[in-house]
Amino acid sequence: MAVPVLVEAQGPADDRRVLELILLIERTEAAFYGAALDAGILDGELAEFAEVVRGHEAEHLGAVTAALGDDLPAEPTFDFGEHLADAGAFARAAARLEDTAVGAYNGQAGNVSPKVFSVAAQIVSVEARHAAWVRSIEDRDPAPDATDKPMTEQQVRDRLQALGVTE
Amino acid sequence: MSELDPHVLDADGALAEAHAGLSRAQLLGAGLAATGALLALPRRARAAQLSKTDTDVLNYALSLEYLQAAFYTEAERSKAIRGKAGEAAKVVGAVERAHVAAFLDLLGSKAVKRPRFDFQGVTENPRKFLKTAVAFEDLAVAAYKGQAIRIESPAVVSAALGIHTVEARHAAWMRHLYGIKPAVNAFDAPDSKKQVLALVEDTGFVVDSPRVKAKRKPGYTG
Repeated sequence: MAVPVLVEAQGPADDRRVLELILLIERTEAAFYGAALDAGILDGELAEFAEVVRGHEAEHLGAVTAALGDDLPAEPTFDFGEHLADAGAFARAAARLEDTAVGAYNGQAGNVSPKVFSVAAQIVSVEARHAAWVRSIEDRDPAPDATDKPMTEQQVRDRLQALGVTE
Repeated sequence: MSELDPHVLDADGALAEAHAGLSRAQLLGAGLAATGALLALPRRARAAQLSKTDTDVLNYALSLEYLQAAFYTEAERSKAIRGKAGEAAKVVGAVERAHVAAFLDLLGSKAVKRPRFDFQGVTENPRKFLKTAVAFEDLAVAAYKGQAIRIESPAVVSAALGIHTVEARHAAWMRHLYGIKPAVNAFDAPDSKKQVLALVEDTGFVVDSPRVKAKRKPGYTG
């Protein structure tokens, strides 16, 4: 079936597993923008973008952390390497990271309770705005498709690993 | 008055024509391919099988897509929106028409009819065009978000969510072009159907009663 199906539907709401995946994404985003700003490679619009988005990701991380409670998975390690070599590399990596977040949230929407769904829906469109924003600054296609395809958990983890995340 | 009819536009190649001047012409191909996935919903998932709630939600989404598609199509045809904004109007217009086509296909005979629109010159004024585009896209994001939780068919939920984030991308794009922050808050709030429809009505862009054209009486045929 060609329709973008809800991936990995596992029957009853599987909030914790999904929230842990989302936590990994939000931790990565928060670390990525923090490292980019610390690296001193950004100025102008890209610096403003990174500042604003870092703030958003910190809020997302706070919401997901609160939902998970005390028993959090171990912090991953980050080595963004050449993705922070210069402003252009940062912008490309940021777009890929935000696209990954969109695909991850959309891919997991069918696996969560209505409560988590409602919060995730308020986050995912902000991630999509970030993805389009950084592309707009770089004069690249902000919205290359008519629909955003969902991603599987494995696709998400592979993308994060390629960006320098080690769990 | 808009002459939008997505099926006709598809048939006569106007979608492709809209992109003829774009260096990023592959965008259209990608857009239509993705919507092709939407259109490929199995027959059993289509109108005959849609629940009353899903039919209601899809018709509401179709109404918003009609509005957006007509708006961008008219802006493109006005030739008054130039440069990056003109390019965005072409690209986003093609995508919104594809959304209309997808919902029409899903809803079949249950689809609401397209109203007439009167954009009151907004599509010929670059600043007003962008300001209105920002408002429409932000509204669409809030509207889809408000409905996603109501949808009963998993396949329709998935399709709606995939469109929801594309509308958010459009919102950020138009905001950037207009010179305002593409993402203001960390969380995008939903809007209820009632709120959205009231805002749309306030614009005065939707003309409820089609103008009756004066027609010559048919000749007497005996």
